[in-house]
Amino acid sequence: MLEVKQLIKSLPNGRKVLNGISFKVEKGEFVGILGPSGAGKTLTLRCLNGLLKPDSGSVVVQGTDGKRVDICQISKRELRRARQKIGVIFQGNHLVKRLSALENVMIGRLGQISTFRSILYGFTDAEAAEAVAALEKVKMEHMADVRTGNMSGGEMQRVAIARAIFQSPTLLLADEPISSLDPSNARVIMKLIKPLSENIPVVGVFHQPDMTAKYCTRVIAIKDGKVIYDGDPHLSENLLAEIYGEELQQIEANKNIPALIPSEPTLVHTS
Amino acid sequence: MTWKDFSLKRYRKYILPLIILVLVTYGAAMVCGISYGELGRGLVSGVVFLGHMFPPDWSAFNEMLEPAFQSIIIAFLGTFFGALLSLIMALLAAANISNPWVRNITRFLIGVERSLPEIVILLLLVAAFGLGSMPGIIALAISCIGMLGKLLADSIEEIDHIMIESMQSVGAKKIQVIFFGVLPQILPNLISYTLFRFELNIRLSVILGAVGAGGVGYELDYAFNMLEYHRAFTAMLIILVMVFSTEQLSYFLRKWIKVDAALK
Amino acid sequence: MIPSIQLPSQKYKRKVTAFSLVIIVVSTACIYMDFNPLGFFTEFHFVRDLLGEMMPPNFNVLWSSSSVGFSFLQTMSMAFLGTLYGGVIAITIAFLAANNTMPARVVRMIARAALSLLRVIPALVVILIFVIAVGLGSFAGVLTLVVITVGTFGKLFTEIIENTENPPSEAIYSAGASRVQVIRYSVIPQILPSFVANLLYAFDVNVRAAIGLGIFGGGGIGFQLYLSLRVLHYQDAMAYICFIILLVISVEKLSDYLRRKILNDGKF
Repeated sequence: MLEVKQLIKSLPNGRKVLNGISFKVEKGEFVGILGPSGAGKTLTLRCLNGLLKPDSGSVVVQGTDGKRVDICQISKRELRRARQKIGVIFQGNHLVKRLSALENVMIGRLGQISTFRSILYGFTDAEAAEAVAALEKVKMEHMADVRTGNMSGGEMQRVAIARAIFQSPTLLLADEPISSLDPSNARVIMKLIKPLSENIPVVGVFHQPDMTAKYCTRVIAIKDGKVIYDGDPHLSENLLAEIYGEELQQIEANKNIPALIPSEPTLVHTS
Repeated sequence: MTWKDFSLKRYRKYILPLIILVLVTYGAAMVCGISYGELGRGLVSGVVFLGHMFPPDWSAFNEMLEPAFQSIIIAFLGTFFGALLSLIMALLAAANISNPWVRNITRFLIGVERSLPEIVILLLLVAAFGLGSMPGIIALAISCIGMLGKLLADSIEEIDHIMIESMQSVGAKKIQVIFFGVLPQILPNLISYTLFRFELNIRLSVILGAVGAGGVGYELDYAFNMLEYHRAFTAMLIILVMVFSTEQLSYFLRKWIKVDAALK
Repeated sequence: MIPSIQLPSQKYKRKVTAFSLVIIVVSTACIYMDFNPLGFFTEFHFVRDLLGEMMPPNFNVLWSSSSVGFSFLQTMSMAFLGTLYGGVIAITIAFLAANNTMPARVVRMIARAALSLLRVIPALVVILIFVIAVGLGSFAGVLTLVVITVGTFGKLFTEIIENTENPPSEAIYSAGASRVQVIRYSVIPQILPSFVANLLYAFDVNVRAAIGLGIFGGGGIGFQLYLSLRVLHYQDAMAYICFIILLVISVEKLSDYLRRKILNDGKF
C-alpha cells in the first residue's frame, strides 16, 4: 500500500507547484493521475520514488523487509534499499539504447546486487532466465538480444514493463507510459500494466481520460498542485471541463483520431 | 550466484584482445626503452624539474616582450597569407567551380600537404632560404593549405549548383560568379576556420621559432640550451599567456561572427 | 529614397574601408618583420636548387641502414604508448571532471582546471622539459605525447560524458542502483563508441606529433630526417620525406576506416 500525505513543494520564486497532495492507494487498485500540463502530476510521481524531495509531507511505502518507510525522510543507502521494491515505468527513452533488451531488464535488479558483482557483469544465468521470463510476459522474448535503440516505441515500452516486472516490486509507478505511442500500442501497454495491479498498488500519470476510464479502477485529478477529484474513473463532461479547462478541446481532438485497428487488440509478436 | 557464473567461458571473448594489447604495449615500451613503472616516474621527474625552474626570472620579462610580439606577428602573417593561398587552392579544388582535372590535381596536392608535419616543411624552407622569420611565415602559410584548403573546398562544394547556374544564366563571368556568388556565401566559414587556424599557428610559431624562425620559441630554446632555467620559465609563462589569450579571443570572435551570420 | 536599405555606394565605402584597413595592417606587419611576400617567388630559385639537389630521392637509405627500421618502430611505439597512457589518464580525469559522474564540486573544479592548463601548453615546452628531466630519446617523446594527449582529449571526453542521455541513468537510479552502477550500465555503454573512435583519431594525431618531436630529441623517424638535413644528405632526406608522407597517409586512412566502422556499424 501507499500513503501520500500533504506533499508541498515550492519553486525558488515561491510558487507552490505541489500544494498539499494527499491520497492513499491499496493493493488491487490501478490509479490514474490526470490533470492539465504543469499541474504537478509528474512532480508528484517523482516524489513517490524519491527522485524529488518535497519541502514537506510524507510518502509511506512498504519497505524491503515489510516495514513501512517514509520515502521523504530517508536518503542514500536507505533510499536505495526502498527503491529496490518500487518499480517505475518511464517513457521509452529511459532505456539504455546501446544495451540489449535482456540487459535492460536485468538493470532492474542492480540495486539488489553488490557493486563489485555489477561491475564484473555478474548477473547469474538464473537471473537471466528470470529476465527472459519477464520478457515473455510482455511477449518480447524473441527480441531479447536486440538493442533497444533499434526498437519501436511500443517495443521499448514493453521492455520497460518487463524491467519493472523483473524487479518484483511492492509498488509500481508509471510516468506517462503511453504518451508517445499510437492508440493501438497504448492499449497494448495498458493491458499489460493492468494485471500487475492485482497484487500491488499501481499509480500512473496519464494524459488520456478515455484510457484511464477504460483500464483504471480509480482516477485522481490534480490541478494547480491540489487534488481536485478522487474517485470513479468514468468522468462526466463537466468534470473533464473543470479539470482540463482550455486544454480539453485538444484532448477531444486526439481522441477522435480514428483508430485503424480494432479497439481491443490482442497481444501479438511484433516482428 | 555460484562460481560457475564467473567461469572463464564468460570472459573468453576478452582474453585474446587483452593478450594482444599487453604484448603490443610491452613491445612498444621495449622499443622506447621504458620499463614497467618508469612512466609514472618520468612524469613525476618532469614536474619536479618544473619545480626547480621556479621562480621565473622577471628581469628577462622585458627582453622577451618583443620576441613574443614577433611570434604573434609571424602567426598573423602566416595565417593571412595561408588563408589567401588556401582560398585560391579551394577554388581550384571545388567540383562546382573548376574542371575535373584541375580539381583532382589540387586535391592531391592538398592531401600531400596535409600529411606533412609543419616542422618538416620548415626544415626544408630553412634549408632553402636559411634561418629567419621569412621561412617561418612561409612554412605557416603553406601548412594552412592542408586544413583550410580542404575545409573551404568542401564548403564551396556545398553551395547550391543551381545558384551558380542562375548567375551564369544572366551572363556572369566566372570571376564574377566567384566574387558575387561564392565568396559572400563562404565568408562566415572562411573567417571562422581562419581564426581557428590562427590559434593553431600561434602554437606552431612558438615551435617553429625553436628551429630557427625566431620569436619567443627561439628565446625558450636558447634559454634551455644555456641552462638558464629561470629565464626559460619566464618564456614559458609568456607563451602560456599568449596561447590562452589568443584562444579566448578567437573563441569570442567566432561566437560573435556566428551570431552575426545568423542574423543576416 | 527607401530609408531602411543600404545603398550600394555606402556598402561599397564600407567594403573599401575594411579592405584598405586589412592591407595597411598586413603591410605594416610585413615591414616590421622585414618580410616580402613576393620574396617566395622572386627567390624561388633557392627552392628549385634545393629540390634539384634532393632529386632523385635515395630510397636505398630506407632499407640499407638498419636504424631506419628501428626509427620507424620507435615513432609508432611512441605514438601508441602516448595514445594508450594519455587516453587512460584523459578518461580518468574526464570522469572526475564531468558533473554527471563526479558529485563533489571541488574535485570537479580541480580536474577542470588541470585540463584547461594542459590544453594551452604547446608541445615544445613539454618536450624541452622532459628532455632535461629524463634525457634525450624516445622516452621523453612518449611522456610529451602523454601530456599532449591528455590536454587535447581530456576536455572533449568530459563533454562526451556530460552529453550522455540522462533519462536512462534516472531510470536506473530509480531501481535503487548506486552511482557506480549507473556509470557502469548507463554512461559507459553510451560513451564507448565515441571514446574508441576518438582514441583512434588521437593515434593518428600522435603519429604526426611523434615525427615532429623527433627533431627536438624525441628520436624516431623525425630525428633521422633532421640528421640527414643537418649533414646535407638531401637525397636521403627526400627519401625520408616520401616515407613520412606514406606513413602518415596510411595511418590516417586506417584510422578513418576503423572509425567509420565503429561509428556506423551497430555491433560495437
